[in-house]
Amino acid sequence: MIAPAALLVLAIILPAAGVVLALAAGGRGAERVAMAVIAGGAAIALAIAGTLWSTGAPLSYIIGGWAPPLGIALRADGLSAFMLLTSALVIGAIGLFARATYVQPAGTPERRAPLVFWIMLMGVWTGLNAVWLAGDLFSLYVALELLTFSAVPLVSLEGKPETLAAALRYMLFALIGSILYLLGCALLYGGYGTLDIVLLSRLARPEPVVFVALALMTAGLAAKTALFPLHLWLPPAHAGAPAAASALLSALVVKGSFILMVRLWFDSLPGIAGDGAAQFMAALGSAAIIVGSVLALRQERLKLMIAYSTVAQIGYLFFLFPLAGAAGDWERLAWTGGIMQLVAHAVAKAAMFMAAGLIGEALGHDRIAGFAGLGRALPVVMFAFGLAGMSLMGLPPSGGFVAKAMLLTASIGEGQWWWAVVIMIGGLLAAGYMFRVLTPALAGGAAPVILAARISRPRQAIVLGLAICALLLGLMPLRPSALLEVGRTTQAAEVR
Amino acid sequence: MTPATLYGLCSAVLVGAGLYGALVNPQPLRKILALNLLGSGTFLLFGVIARRGAAAGLGGDPVPQAMVITGIVVAFSATALAVALLLRVYQETGRTTLEQPAPKDVV
Amino acid sequence: MIWLAATLLLPLAMLFACLSQTLRYRMSNWLSVAAVPGLGAALFAPEASLDLPPFLLRLRLSLDLPSAILLGVAALLWIAAGVYAAAWLRDDPRRGRIAEWWLLTLTGSLGVFMAADLVSFYLLFSMVSLAAYGLIIEGRAADAQKVGLIYVALAVFGEALLLMAFVMLAQSGSASGPGDGLLIRDAVAALAVSPWRNAILALIIGGFGVKLGMVPFHVWMPITYRTAPIPAAAALSGAAVKAGAIGLLRFLPLGLALPDWGNVLTTLGFISAFYAVLIGVTQTNPRMVLAFSSISQMGVIAAVFGMGLGAPNADLALIVAFYAAHHTLVKGGLFLGVGLAPLSGPRRTWLVLVPAAIMGLGLAGLPLTGGALAKLAIKPVLGDGWAGTLGILSSLATALLMTHFLFRLAALPEAVAPNALHGRLRWSWLMIAAASVVVPWALYLMVMSGSVAYALSPASLWASLWPVVVGATLAAGLRPWGSRLPRVPDGDIVMLVAARVARVAGRTAAALEWLDGALRQWPVAVLSLLAISAILAALMLVRV
Repeated sequence: MIAPAALLVLAIILPAAGVVLALAAGGRGAERVAMAVIAGGAAIALAIAGTLWSTGAPLSYIIGGWAPPLGIALRADGLSAFMLLTSALVIGAIGLFARATYVQPAGTPERRAPLVFWIMLMGVWTGLNAVWLAGDLFSLYVALELLTFSAVPLVSLEGKPETLAAALRYMLFALIGSILYLLGCALLYGGYGTLDIVLLSRLARPEPVVFVALALMTAGLAAKTALFPLHLWLPPAHAGAPAAASALLSALVVKGSFILMVRLWFDSLPGIAGDGAAQFMAALGSAAIIVGSVLALRQERLKLMIAYSTVAQIGYLFFLFPLAGAAGDWERLAWTGGIMQLVAHAVAKAAMFMAAGLIGEALGHDRIAGFAGLGRALPVVMFAFGLAGMSLMGLPPSGGFVAKAMLLTASIGEGQWWWAVVIMIGGLLAAGYMFRVLTPALAGGAAPVILAARISRPRQAIVLGLAICALLLGLMPLRPSALLEVGRTTQAAEVR
Repeated sequence: MTPATLYGLCSAVLVGAGLYGALVNPQPLRKILALNLLGSGTFLLFGVIARRGAAAGLGGDPVPQAMVITGIVVAFSATALAVALLLRVYQETGRTTLEQPAPKDVV
Repeated sequence: MIWLAATLLLPLAMLFACLSQTLRYRMSNWLSVAAVPGLGAALFAPEASLDLPPFLLRLRLSLDLPSAILLGVAALLWIAAGVYAAAWLRDDPRRGRIAEWWLLTLTGSLGVFMAADLVSFYLLFSMVSLAAYGLIIEGRAADAQKVGLIYVALAVFGEALLLMAFVMLAQSGSASGPGDGLLIRDAVAALAVSPWRNAILALIIGGFGVKLGMVPFHVWMPITYRTAPIPAAAALSGAAVKAGAIGLLRFLPLGLALPDWGNVLTTLGFISAFYAVLIGVTQTNPRMVLAFSSISQMGVIAAVFGMGLGAPNADLALIVAFYAAHHTLVKGGLFLGVGLAPLSGPRRTWLVLVPAAIMGLGLAGLPLTGGALAKLAIKPVLGDGWAGTLGILSSLATALLMTHFLFRLAALPEAVAPNALHGRLRWSWLMIAAASVVVPWALYLMVMSGSVAYALSPASLWASLWPVVVGATLAAGLRPWGSRLPRVPDGDIVMLVAARVARVAGRTAAALEWLDGALRQWPVAVLSLLAISAILAALMLVRV
């Protein structure tokens, strides 16, 4: 029997070991290793979440017995558990989905793309799990870099010139972001002599060095999260990558740096930033929602539309800063709502990108203008696309609805009604770009659609299954989640 | 002026030069070099901080040193990956620039 | 209890059965069955209440007398339209998809009358609003897709208003948000002390106003009813639109005296009532005429609500439900008639026009019809003042519009193959025509405890007869001028305004696209990155 705290190490080590093993095994072995890691990783995520759920207390593991500030701690609170489960679910679905694309048939010369895909998939997972669990800001930096370095090759998996350029632009911009983050780390360490989240939360005081550090780190992370107006790299990278990779990038990779921002603002330096900065972050988020949605409405290609929809949906996450940062009754609801938005978007967007991938495969193109009558030719895929779209629009019952309802409630309750107006407008615009795709697909097209390729049923089923998960998230009660609060209240109490 | 201040100023100059280079250079290779400059400035700052920790009577604070070493490894990998990507771009297109389509005029 | 559950579960189970290809194509024959439990619930369980298991959102369904009336007639209409649809869609290749959207719309349409808590109300309301989109785009009209987009844009807009209102209501009603199965009753009760009362009322009236087609949110109604397949248009115009009526019934604080809000709602209602007639008489397509009549009638209902909001009236809910029930049967029925007329050959006059005349003029209050009883019921609410006068004038206007409709119905060209007239089309039409008279009488006597003597007294008969006669005479007099009346493009002036708004929106979007392109240039992006960190640091420093 493994001690529960050791599971935290295992959650990071397992996919990391997978990377090494897959590289050694090569060819078909890489896929088998990935499948084993997916099964094991899901079990670990469930075990950690189950432990937190039953004990109601956070887990922590001190690596090598060296306690912070000298050593490194891994910690799992409710937020970590949510994110572990989400990444296990989404990566599991993506892995199963990608089996058809990245096969290495026996007896054929080894191809590059499958090997790279499986290795990078596990690399991304290692990075993500490390981001969810790391207990100090420097380990988080390393985890984030691991995440970025694994994500960049996924963009250019097909090796086309435009995707290579997109990958390089993504890489360079992300690098500026991470160096700014590291600069902030240096300043914080210089100020307090530790980067451990819990220790820092006790020591940090509102003073200029912290302000500069926090501003630099936040801006750097915002660049990696593609917060408007720092989204230059996202549309070409996410739209150019192959479907499985786009799903991974849009659903999870951008969330990694966002969660780091949350750790910074709420766990490491609680209450330092102040309301003005929080309002500014949410204002950028609002601009992301409006501009991203309008741009999504104007795209002619489906994948670019979905990529711009990611720019818009990321915007909602930033309402967390003013809403969950304020003192009062609604803060807990905003916290659950913001994280639910993250989870719901991850699940729905992964399903949507995979559905778009199947549509592109079947039609041989992804021009929205050529979708007439698609609903009859690919009923299951379009149904899954529509379900995922429901969540993005925030229609009930779906995870997106629950999240938006909670954020709305909190913003009204805290008297910050202007964010509620933005949320409403964002929902309308989302309906606009979703129905622009759904209408010709569902109606129209008297002539039968000629499909360039057949889509196997299991792949359709995976996409549909994930879309249904996005829907089932809508059954969550509209209350602050108990699991998400694990470790949060105690930490806040520690600080006070 | 103490050595720590001097090093700190040096690090600030490096960071500033790196940012400037990353901002204005259209060539990806030069951007990569500028980012390395930016990174070096940051590592120097860690060095200054380690030195300052020495006031406690120790020879120096070892933790920032460990961080710098880790950071250098990360920066090295980043540079390698970026240069590899750039080489692929060059192989595929014969160019070493990253032109983004200019914004269309409002119709 | 079992009836309430079956009302939702049977259509959903049938929808589930549509997963099978074979069953899907046969489903259009069985659509009428789906609404039977709804009728059963209204008849046998009008006071029932049901809590769904707590792991499913903690929904609560319950009925009271007004909602049971609305549920019963809506189910009746869905049954009749289902019988009609079975024949209408017989050879239609789209019948499988239409059946799916039909069942989904039906579930929402019937469910919304039973929803007792905020979350399930919003869920079922969205269901009826958005699933109707599927029925609309299945129409044969060339512009069905465009119509579908306009519909869905307005529907989602209405829902956005409602979601906002519900969120604010929930905050007045409980400390922890809309969770915990907050009942509508409790939330509305808390409205009396809510600091956001005016905002909530405005959002509620706006949100349900979109569903009821209140001017200027009525744009969707004429074009959708023109486009959707006939049986679907019947169910949508009669039953689905009442989701707005039950919404106002449940969410307006009818126990509070709010004369200002009452006047606003009454005025808005009468504006709709008369504006729609004005535009309606210029229309030549009988379906469009019916749609404008719906807008007008929903305006009257809104006006009655307004009066009730101004001066509390214990019977108001029942009265409105009664009035709306009559409209459900008549309007749904008339749409079935529009489909039948071109197929009925030489029998058109007796088979279609006479029942249609009774139903149509009944809307204006033709004596002895259900409509006369409905007008009688709302009379005391409207009173003798300006609202009462406008009420009588609206009867007159309705008579004018419905006579115009009858002319247009008579003028419909014969179908190419009149022998396609199927028995089921005929008898579902006659059944709903009969129900439009019998059901209101039965309700009047048994539920409304009205007296026959009063209803048949010469004074009552005269009061309901003269507006009908005047209106019909006006319509007949106007007929020769019909071709000279100004034509309104695609049903409405508002469409012209909408086109201009669309142009401005297009230009704004183009500007945003340009902005996006500019911001995505590398130097601009790096500068924004530095600017963001500078602004953040400045904001944090300034606070101290």
